[in-house]
Amino acid sequence: MIFNKNLHTFMLVVFSISSLNVLAETANELSAEQIVSKANLSAYYAGSDGRSDARMKIVDEQGRTQLRQFVILRQDLSDGGDQNFLVVFSRPSDVRGTVFLVNKHPLSDDDRWLYLPGLDLVKRISAGDKRTSFVGSHFYYEDVSGRPPEADNHQLTGQNEQYYLLKHSPKKPDEVEFSYYTTKIDKKTFLPMEIVYFNDTNSVIRTVEVTSTKEVKGYPTVTESKITDHKLNGYTIMQFKFMDYDIGIPQDIFSERSLRTPPEDWLKRKPE
Amino acid sequence: MKDWILDLSLKRPKQLYWFMALFTLVLAGFIPTIQIDTDPENMLPAQQKDRVFHNQIKKEFQLYDAIVVGVVNATTVFNPQTLKNIHQLTEQVLRIDGVVSSDVMSLSTIDNIQQEEQGTIRFEWMMKQAPSSQSKATEIEQSVRQLPLMLDTLVSADNKASAIYVPIKNKDESYQISKEIQQIADQLKGDDEYFITGLPVAEDTFGFQMFVQMGISAPMAAAMIFILMLFFFKNLQLVIAPMIVAMATVIGTMGLLIACGFTVHIMSSMIAIFLMPIAVVDSVHIMSEFADRFKPGQNAKQVAKEVVSHLFKPMLFTSVTSTVGFLSLALTPIPPVQIFGIFVGFGIMLAFIWTITFMPAYISRMSPEQLEKMQNKFHQKHENSVIDRLMNIFANISVRYSKILLLGFVGLFIFSMYGIQKIQINDNPVRWFKSDHSIRVADKVLNKHFAGTYDAFLVLSHKNRDALIQGTVSQLAEKVSKISNQKLKNELTVKLDDFSSQRISIGELIAIIDDAMFNVEGDDVEHLEGAISLIEETASELNYFTQPDTLNYMSELQLALQKTGLVGKTNAMTDLIKTVNRELKSGEASDYVLPETQAGIAQTLLQFQSSHRPQDLWHMVNPSYSRATIWIQLSSGDNQDMTRVIESVDKFVKERPLPEGMELQWAGKTYINVVWQEAMVAGMLDSLFSAFIVVMIMMIILFRSVMFGLLAMLPLTLTITFIYGLIGWIGKDYDMPIAVLSALTLGLSVDFAIHFIERARSIFNQTGDFNTTIKLMFEEPGRAITRNAIVIAIGFTPLLFAPLVPYITVGIFLASIMAASAIVTLLMLPSALNVLKRFLFNTQPTKGESHDI
Repeated sequence: MIFNKNLHTFMLVVFSISSLNVLAETANELSAEQIVSKANLSAYYAGSDGRSDARMKIVDEQGRTQLRQFVILRQDLSDGGDQNFLVVFSRPSDVRGTVFLVNKHPLSDDDRWLYLPGLDLVKRISAGDKRTSFVGSHFYYEDVSGRPPEADNHQLTGQNEQYYLLKHSPKKPDEVEFSYYTTKIDKKTFLPMEIVYFNDTNSVIRTVEVTSTKEVKGYPTVTESKITDHKLNGYTIMQFKFMDYDIGIPQDIFSERSLRTPPEDWLKRKPE
Repeated sequence: MKDWILDLSLKRPKQLYWFMALFTLVLAGFIPTIQIDTDPENMLPAQQKDRVFHNQIKKEFQLYDAIVVGVVNATTVFNPQTLKNIHQLTEQVLRIDGVVSSDVMSLSTIDNIQQEEQGTIRFEWMMKQAPSSQSKATEIEQSVRQLPLMLDTLVSADNKASAIYVPIKNKDESYQISKEIQQIADQLKGDDEYFITGLPVAEDTFGFQMFVQMGISAPMAAAMIFILMLFFFKNLQLVIAPMIVAMATVIGTMGLLIACGFTVHIMSSMIAIFLMPIAVVDSVHIMSEFADRFKPGQNAKQVAKEVVSHLFKPMLFTSVTSTVGFLSLALTPIPPVQIFGIFVGFGIMLAFIWTITFMPAYISRMSPEQLEKMQNKFHQKHENSVIDRLMNIFANISVRYSKILLLGFVGLFIFSMYGIQKIQINDNPVRWFKSDHSIRVADKVLNKHFAGTYDAFLVLSHKNRDALIQGTVSQLAEKVSKISNQKLKNELTVKLDDFSSQRISIGELIAIIDDAMFNVEGDDVEHLEGAISLIEETASELNYFTQPDTLNYMSELQLALQKTGLVGKTNAMTDLIKTVNRELKSGEASDYVLPETQAGIAQTLLQFQSSHRPQDLWHMVNPSYSRATIWIQLSSGDNQDMTRVIESVDKFVKERPLPEGMELQWAGKTYINVVWQEAMVAGMLDSLFSAFIVVMIMMIILFRSVMFGLLAMLPLTLTITFIYGLIGWIGKDYDMPIAVLSALTLGLSVDFAIHFIERARSIFNQTGDFNTTIKLMFEEPGRAITRNAIVIAIGFTPLLFAPLVPYITVGIFLASIMAASAIVTLLMLPSALNVLKRFLFNTQPTKGESHDI
């Protein structure tokens, strides 16, 4: 029955290798590791590269808001493996031109650079802890760059027509603030639609929900997600716009040179 | 009315008893719903502007009341065992219900920012795990010492102490939470000492102690008065009567207070102990007079009626004057003091009513045998009693040395006036505990090690914000009006209105226009681009607290404060920006400066926000950057010290005027204490002055003589001056309990003068001879005054055993006031009468209306 439904969906969607894989393996009862690996690819490795405008609305307990706007350029060096990111801030205007450059290595420490135009300063950021706030939002750095599947033990706890339900426990509990988290992974898109973090007394401490998705160039893509920090009683809404995939960003864009002189051509929006 | 009351009391005693019992029991029924209030903030009315602002700031900057836990090690806290203890303690504290866990500040919950290797910067938890070795512990030490916001706040300069700040959601739970923390600490290993304090703990503990006080001191006062009366009257059955009056008064008054929905504050918790002695005083008069007049075989009812109708007027007057004294407290702007004054006033009148109704009924229903027994005991002569000998001495010297005595009193008055000049107005709620109380000990230890556990906040606000927004709105409206796309124009007009009324932030407005850019063409693109650049310009002006000029001024102000030596430390966003800037640059002290541009500052803050605790920034500045705080840590909670800090800021602002657009205000508990204290001092003067005038007018009316009226005011004037002069001379701080005493003194000591002058005039009218009058005055009347003074003074002594300092202060001073007031009355009035007798008394006695008591 599930198969039939998926088949029907399959006929309608734009043909792509990844959705073919989805279908094929759904039928063969995926293991937890396989699901997580697919979800990782779906959420963080769509296409060989991509760009997106992003806007974060950070709302605190008292309903006060802050906004951040930036462009993310991404390049995958291998699926599920190393990646490059360039994050260029445009708003608020006083942080305009602030740039993060990340060479992500899932199996070792990332290389991170930072450029602050106001101080005319290029700085390396030590790998260290990835569970720090991403520029004041309720997202952690790791939520944006992707937590490597290897960091956790995964367990399939159930499924329904729409979702796989999984539970993930950290291999190094000392390095994280949660004791486990659960995910709901969409069976069709393999996008994690909900992630809930628990502490050691089984209380929910953070929730990430995908509130809207759409397909861009055949890739299921998150267009809005919301993260709620239950300890701080605040939330952040992240919206993505003007996404594009497989645009052929040259590798030298992801070098220190782009910190002081951001690659305007690649940052420019192109109407969807 | 007097006769009607007496008839009721004597003819229907049973109905009266029932009514009294019912009245008391109904009000007593409310007592279990008692609500204790220990918040010093409530010294100010809820709508008082400083208090409203203080609470607004607390909410805006999410400043919770915090329990402070100090971990002290004799050599250094930076050793693996102590750090392990801190880590463990913090872990468990985070689990306690009611703790705001995201705001707990401890070595294991704070973030460290530092240079890693050349050119890298790193955010990491200061102490995610307890260090396993001494060298790791030393690393933590070195890291903390690099963080100015933490040094002296979280770790003492001498390394011997580290603090854990535990913010709590509801301060009513702080006593219980502090007990839980104590239990956790008790189980930790090693030789560290733990001290727990903080205002919420102090307040909650205080509430607990207040219950103890009411449960112990008030019954002790009752027992004391009972024994004392038994000693004077030697008749158990008779003495029970005034005790019933006292109990009915106290229970009725407290019941009514609680029934009216008032909380029991430190002042009102003293009502019981105040009313107890005052309530029995009138009964003592009735019993004395009854014992004097009653002869065996007489009709007890008839005698009781005579006695009460005789005493009615003076008892009414003394009750009313005492009530006026207490009611005058309602003129102070301090709600708990008002409530105290009003209800003690009510209690005195209630005591008066129960005395004149219940006492005659009770006495007249005593059996003839009992009456006779009482008679015999009461009329035993006790010539050689201490009181009698004292009276003889007073009688002699007051007439023989009138002028010298009066001169002496004038001298005492001048001496006291000098003392009053020396009065130090000061208070500190933590000092309400005895000096050996664990909270006082912890307070002392922590304030020795750290910059201070007392908080005040300098709040700096951008006052041109609204004008700036409105100005931008009208400029934007003009641009929007030019847009040709009608739909977009309408939409933007609505959004502009939302922005104008601050329903959406400036960032949101930019986002809306930014989105709109993609759906327009032609000239409209230009209009929108113009609008965006205009808004961005305004945005940087609105971000007042990222402007270098603003922050530089803040820095200077902090430096000036630090230089006064009055403050332990100041903490503000400037310190945070400088620290991040330093670590972004060289990591050297030379880079501990503010960036030169607004963008530089904003980007430094963005870096801070990439740490584990970005929300900490909002304790120092609000997200719209229109208001910032300077948290001032003081090692003393004395109002005097806080006042000096305020003065030093005023001085700084005078020399270096605030930047255009900046407004400076104060908040914080230590500041609020100063506000209510100042209000109280001013209020007390008003209350004392108006009560003085009212009582003086009453005296003139009572005695139908301006001269006698003024004379009656003399002893209390000297007593009040003397008591406050004494406070000035011995250097006791003028605090809340001391302030309240002025009204009490006025209300209580005028009673003695009334009795003395009334009796003196009446005796003179009978004898016509001044010297005989004075001699007779020091017989029964002198004894009665002395006895009353002793009853009241001793009735208050159980306060000396109270666990809290304000009660002890009141106990000591009330006893002294009673003694001073009795002595002054008994020496000053006869001397003054002697000197002024030519003007006061007709040489020929005339039978006027009866004044005798």
